[in-house]
Amino acid sequence: MTRLLAARKGFITPEMEEAARQEGVDPEFIRAGVAAGTIVIPKNRLRKGIRTCAIGRGLRTKVNALIGTSSDRDDPEMEARKIEVAISAGADAIMDLSTGGDIDGMRRVSLERATVPVGSVPIYQAGIEAIEKRGGIVAMTPEDMFEAIEKQAAAGIDFMAIHCALNFEVVERLQKTGRVTDIVSRGGAFLTGWMLHNRKENPLYEEFDRVLDILREYDVTLSLGDAIRPGCIADSLDGAQIQGLLVAGELVVRAREKGVQVMVEGPGHVPIHHVETTMLLQKQLCHQAPYFVLGTLAIDVAPGYDHITAAIGGALAGASGADFICYVTPAEHLGLPAEEDVRVGVMAARIAAHAADIAKGVKGAWEWDLKMARARASLDREAVAGLAIDPALVRCYLEKEKGEPCSACGNECALRLVSEYFQQ
Amino acid sequence: MPTQMARALAGEITPEMKRVAGREGVDPEFIRRGVAEGTIVIPRNRRRKNIDPVGIGTGLRVKVSASVGLAGPGDTIEGEVAKVRAAVEAGTDAVMDLSVYGDIDGARRAVLAATTTPVGTLPVYQALAEAREKYGAAVKMKVDEMFEVIERQAADGVDFLALHCATTWQTLRAAKKHRRVDYLVSHGGSHLMGWMIYNQKENPLYEHFDRLLEICRRYDVTLSLADGWRPGCLADSLDAAQVQELVVLGELVARARQQQVQVMVKGPGHVPLGHLKATVQLEKQLCHGAPYFVFGPVVTDIAPGYDNITAAIGGALAAWAGAEFLCYVTAAEHLGLPGVEQVREGVVAARIAAHAADVAREPRAAQWDLEMSRARKALDWDRQIELAIDPLRADALRRERSHGSHRACAMCGRYCAMQVVGEYLGKEQGVC
Repeated sequence: MTRLLAARKGFITPEMEEAARQEGVDPEFIRAGVAAGTIVIPKNRLRKGIRTCAIGRGLRTKVNALIGTSSDRDDPEMEARKIEVAISAGADAIMDLSTGGDIDGMRRVSLERATVPVGSVPIYQAGIEAIEKRGGIVAMTPEDMFEAIEKQAAAGIDFMAIHCALNFEVVERLQKTGRVTDIVSRGGAFLTGWMLHNRKENPLYEEFDRVLDILREYDVTLSLGDAIRPGCIADSLDGAQIQGLLVAGELVVRAREKGVQVMVEGPGHVPIHHVETTMLLQKQLCHQAPYFVLGTLAIDVAPGYDHITAAIGGALAGASGADFICYVTPAEHLGLPAEEDVRVGVMAARIAAHAADIAKGVKGAWEWDLKMARARASLDREAVAGLAIDPALVRCYLEKEKGEPCSACGNECALRLVSEYFQQ
Repeated sequence: MPTQMARALAGEITPEMKRVAGREGVDPEFIRRGVAEGTIVIPRNRRRKNIDPVGIGTGLRVKVSASVGLAGPGDTIEGEVAKVRAAVEAGTDAVMDLSVYGDIDGARRAVLAATTTPVGTLPVYQALAEAREKYGAAVKMKVDEMFEVIERQAADGVDFLALHCATTWQTLRAAKKHRRVDYLVSHGGSHLMGWMIYNQKENPLYEHFDRLLEICRRYDVTLSLADGWRPGCLADSLDAAQVQELVVLGELVARARQQQVQVMVKGPGHVPLGHLKATVQLEKQLCHGAPYFVFGPVVTDIAPGYDNITAAIGGALAAWAGAEFLCYVTAAEHLGLPGVEQVREGVVAARIAAHAADVAREPRAAQWDLEMSRARKALDWDRQIELAIDPLRADALRRERSHGSHRACAMCGRYCAMQVVGEYLGKEQGVC
C-alpha cells in the first residue's frame, strides 16, 4: 500500500509522524494533507534511513539541489562531494541528473551518500542509452523508457521527474505560438524530438497508467516534469505553457486515483508580475498538488548571478503558493556548477524559501527572525552567528572583525544615552 | 539663480532635463512636469562640474546607489576611491560618501572627482566627528557648527544630502511606548537622538528646517530625507515610530517643495515580504509622491553574509511596488565593511533587483531580456556575454565551468535542449 492509500485509509505512518514533529503540526494535519494530495512525502518503499521531507500546503517551503555528471564533465567524485555540500548547506532533497559516464554507478553513489530524498529524471538515461545502443534519441523505444523508470525505481529513487504532460496538443500549440526559446527542458526536448521524428504520441502520456503502475509498486512520488516551461520571460504564460498545465492537471487526478503521490514541476523564467498568476493557475488547474518550481528567475540578463534572480522569483513564488524550490546556482546558463556554486545556490534558495515562509505564516519562521533581532539588539555576536543561516560564514567574518568597542566619547556616548532612555 | 525645480515650475526644460529624457527615452516635457510636481528629482549641485545627470522617480528606470566611506583607522582615501571606481564600473547610478572618520573633507572631494554620477553625503556624520574632536563628545556639537558642515559639503558640490529631519521627540516617544525591539539602527539617527537626549532639545534639523532649505536652495542640492526610525528587524517593520516619522516626513516634503527644493524620502531597511507593498504605498501617500529611496530592503534578518541576496528580493518587490531608488546592500552588511569585490557584487545585485522591477513595470525594459534569449536560442556565446549584466563575471564563469565544451555548455553537454529541439522543430540553428 502506498503512503497515499494508507493516508486515505486513515493510517498515520512513521513518515507522517516525523513530518509532523519537524513542522510542529498535528500528525492528523499531515495525514489529511497526504490523503487530499496537497502534501507529498517522497520516499521509495525500498529506501531506508533518510530524513523525511514533507512538501506541500501549510508546511515549510523545501529546497532541492541538483547534481550529476554530464557528457562534458564526468567526475563522480566531485558530484559526490557536491551532494555532501548541498546537504550540509541545508538542502531538503537532491536530484541526480547524471547524463555522463556510468549513470547507474553515479545513482548508487547518490542514494548511498544522500541522507535526504533523491530524485531523478529517467528519460535522460533512456535517451542517452538509445544514442549508444540504437544510434539516436529518436530510435529510443517506449520499452526503453519504461525500463529506465522501472530500473531507477527498483534502485530506490524517491521521486521522479517524468514528462508525461507533454502531448501533441502541447507541441502543436508550441508551434503555433511561436516561442522565443521553444523548449528548454532537456527531457522535454528529447521527447519532442522523438514525437516529431516518429510521428507518434508521447508514450509517457499515452501509457500513463503503465508509469503509474511502476511508481505505485515502489511508492515513488511522481513529479510531473515541466517539458514546456518558459525559458525566457517573453515565453512566460504563453499558450504552450498553459496547455501543458491543463494536461498536467488531468494527470494529477489520474495519479491520485491510482494511489500515487504527485507534485507538479513549474518554471523557469517568470517576470515578477507573472508569478502570482502562475502559482494560482497551477494550484487551480492541478487540484492543489504541491508545486515544485525551478527558480523562478525574474530576469534573463544576469548569467553568473542566477542564484540571485532565482532568489527574487523563488521568494515571491513561495509566498504565492509554491511548496518546493529547486535551487539555481551562479553557474546556471554558463556551465556545470562546482562545489562552491552548489553551496551558494542552496543558501540563496533557502533564503527565498524562508522569506516566503514568513509571508505564508509558516510555524516558527517569524520567531527565527525575532530571535536574531534580539541577539543583534543586545550585541550578542555569538548568538548572532548561531542563529545565522550560515553560521560558519558569520564566524569567519567575526574572526576578522574583532575590533574594540568604540569609546571615543567616553561616558557621553550618544548611543549609550539612547539605550539608557529606552531602558528607563 | 533659480533651482532646477523652480525652472521646471516656470516651464523651462533645462539641459539636465533634456539629458535625462535622452537617457530614459522619454519626452523632455515628461521630465519637466515630473520635476515640477516633485515626482522626479535630478540631483545636481549648482557647483558640480563633472556630472552626467540622472533622473530618479515615477516613470523612469529604477536607479541604484552604492555607499563608500572612511570608517576607521584601516581605511584610506585611495581605497575608497577604488571602491567608487568598482561601483561605477559595475553600473551604479549614484554614489554616497558616508565617511565618519579621518580626513572627511579630503575623502568627499576625492569621491566627487572620481565619478560623474551624482554624489550624496550624510553631513551630520562629519559634524559629529568634528564635535568629538573638539569637545571630546559628539553630543556636545553646536547647532551652528552642524549647519556650517552642511554648508561646507554643499559648497563642495555634493548633489544630494541625507538628513534625519523628522527624527523628533514625538517619534522617540512613540518608539519607547511601543517597545521597539531594535532602537539603534540608523547611525546618524541614533546619534542625533543621543544629542537630543543629552541637550534636552528638539532635533535641530527639524526645528531649523527652513535654514536647511535655504542652503539647499542656494546650491540647488536635492534633499534626501533620511529615516532615523527605519526598522532594523522584521519585528519593527511598520511600527509606531516608523509610521510616525513618515507622517512628519510628509509635512517636510511639502515644505521643501514650497521652497522649490527637490526632495526624496529614504526608507527601510528590514521589511518582511508581506509589508513591502504597504510600506511603499504609505510613503507615496504620506509624502505626496516623492521618490522613495530604500535601503535594500532585506526580507529576513537571519542571513548575514548573504544580505546582497535578501536585499535583491526586497529591492525587486519594493521597486515593483513603486520605490524608484535602491541603495545597495553588500554581503558584508551586518558583519563589517565591504571590500572592492563585495562593492561590485552589491551593485550588480541591486541592478538585478532594479531590472526585475523595471520589467514588471514597463514592457519596454524587457527588450534587453529578449535579446539575451535570442542569443541563448542561437547558442551565440559572444553575444550572451556581451549582453550579460556583468560580462566579466559571465565570461569567467563560462570559461571555468564549461572548460572544453564548445557549442553548448557543460551542464547539458551534448544533450543541450536548444540543440536537440532545433533539429526537430525545423528552426534555424545557431552557429557558434
